[in-house]
Amino acid sequence: MSKKVLVVDDDPDVRSFVVTVLEENQYIPLIAQDGVEGLEKIEKEKPDLVILDVLMPRGSGIRLYHHLKTHDQFKALPIIMFTGIALRSFLKSQKVLDEFQGAEVPKPDIYLEKPVDPEVLAAAVRKKLG
Amino acid sequence: MMSAFKILIVDDEELIVRLLSMSLRSDGYQTVSAFSGEQGLEVFKAESPDIVVTDIKMPGMDGLELLKKIKEIDPEKEVIIVTGHGDIDSTITALQYGASDFINKPVRDAALAIALERAKSKIAIRKTLEEYTTNLEIKIAEATEEIRRKSNFQRLLITSSHDAIVAFDRDWKVVVYNPEAARIFGEAAKDVRNKMTIDDLYTPKIAKVFKNQVKDEKDQRNFPWKEQVIHTKDGRQIPVRYASNVLFENNEFVGTVNFFQDLTEIKRLEKELVQSERLAAVGQTVSGLAHYVKNILIGLKGGSYIVDVGIQKNNMEKLRSGWETIKKNIKRISDLTQDLLTYSKQREPEMETCSPHDIINELMELLKGFAASKNIIFSKNLDKSIGQITADPKTIHHALLNIINNAMDACIEDEDITKKHEVKILTHIDKNHMICFEVEDNGCGMDEDTRKKLFTPMFSSKGGKGTGLGLLVTGKLIEEHKGVIEIETSPGVGSTFRIKLPYTKVKSVDGN
Repeated sequence: MSKKVLVVDDDPDVRSFVVTVLEENQYIPLIAQDGVEGLEKIEKEKPDLVILDVLMPRGSGIRLYHHLKTHDQFKALPIIMFTGIALRSFLKSQKVLDEFQGAEVPKPDIYLEKPVDPEVLAAAVRKKLG
Repeated sequence: MMSAFKILIVDDEELIVRLLSMSLRSDGYQTVSAFSGEQGLEVFKAESPDIVVTDIKMPGMDGLELLKKIKEIDPEKEVIIVTGHGDIDSTITALQYGASDFINKPVRDAALAIALERAKSKIAIRKTLEEYTTNLEIKIAEATEEIRRKSNFQRLLITSSHDAIVAFDRDWKVVVYNPEAARIFGEAAKDVRNKMTIDDLYTPKIAKVFKNQVKDEKDQRNFPWKEQVIHTKDGRQIPVRYASNVLFENNEFVGTVNFFQDLTEIKRLEKELVQSERLAAVGQTVSGLAHYVKNILIGLKGGSYIVDVGIQKNNMEKLRSGWETIKKNIKRISDLTQDLLTYSKQREPEMETCSPHDIINELMELLKGFAASKNIIFSKNLDKSIGQITADPKTIHHALLNIINNAMDACIEDEDITKKHEVKILTHIDKNHMICFEVEDNGCGMDEDTRKKLFTPMFSSKGGKGTGLGLLVTGKLIEEHKGVIEIETSPGVGSTFRIKLPYTKVKSVDGN
């Protein structure tokens, strides 16, 4: 049984790229355009992994990340952070710090900075899902 | 109270001396006595009496001789001479010697008392005068010291001032010229002070400013600090700012004083600041641009991967989707190049007859699909009287496309998803005869900080999704078109961007 991977990204180019990579590696891709839709899909479809963009309109990427990391039922769900900014900038970003309100920002399982080769992305997914 | 007056009584007749002594003591005086001129002088020296009463006729040293000797010792001493009747010659001599008073023999108490009172008051006056004089001397000494201190202080003040201070007397001769002035003007104080005039020291331009200042009306005389570059005789150029005061004493012109501040260091720092700001702007520009180009690269890489997959799998759908992505990103990079070129080059608007409303309709047609996909309501309210105008349609197209796109981004970025997001486009002619294009949104709006940075190169509020060039290019195009952009915005409420261009209506020609 193939595993389900949810791509949350507001950029259609990025979505179709990731979807293609997932299909080529025999995973079932699911897509969401922002954090709100992302959470709906997670609750409904129960994916095995989330590939999440951080910088999305309305700060919804950061909010979704915060939600997933602070609710027990989602804590085990692996997340690949897939974004245009460096990890250091992400951990120090004011919006991120505001969202976590002073609590330590948990590091994502895997952090990939765009652009990423299809092989690297596929390897990262495989590492988490086998 | 003064101690009792001491009176020396000199007479060769002992009885008279005793009688007088008794009478005077009872009046409260202290007395000492002598019975000859010689003895009188000795007692005078020993006792230093306040007043001497002496008989004029005595064997040996007579009264006149004694008077003379006493006056030699102390010319201020009061000596009362006791004379016989008709002794005019002696009286005159006694006067010449400085006798204070005369009483006739036989000495009556009342006459003596009057003479003594007179002597006493003379002593008292002298004493007061003496005290007064002494006081005056002390006061003068103190005042002199005070003046010296003050003038020293003022001299130090002028000498140590960080401002150059130059003062002229009423004939425009230099009277004050402090070390800082010497440093700025490069002339030694000894060659300037009391030697040079204003025309020797200053360039004609500056000299004229100060000379004219004297002629000005009193209330216009003070001018604000002015800036000027001074060319010194030794070839240096010193930027200074200067001010001046006209000096008056009792409404009479007595001179002027000028102050100069060397701005070399300030100018250097200003230049450094501009330089570092420019470097920071370049850094921001490059990093903003790099971010944007990176996003295009992500699109291109992703697109070409999808195309590869499509070719391998002979999958037409993948091929099409990948190719779309590639084309879209090629367009982004070509738009960016165009923006960069537009921004960097001076461009004259290409004026032609065009219809602004056609441009608006065309743009709305182009963007309505995207707006609908983001649930944004698009509406317009156009002033039908506008018609055909003379303008550069490319400028209008570019500017409106940019601000409508921004308006839609503001709606997409808005946190409040309960709002029905709307973008309205309005046109009208304002009272200054300008054609106004208004794009109004009820999106996220901007805070003051963001608003201020809007026209900064490469500032983007859209993360990596904006080049930071859009509004900058729009602003430049509008400026070249002699127009203006106005912005009203409020965080959480929305923004209105208003473009105003000169309105030149083209009259429609019948049968054309």
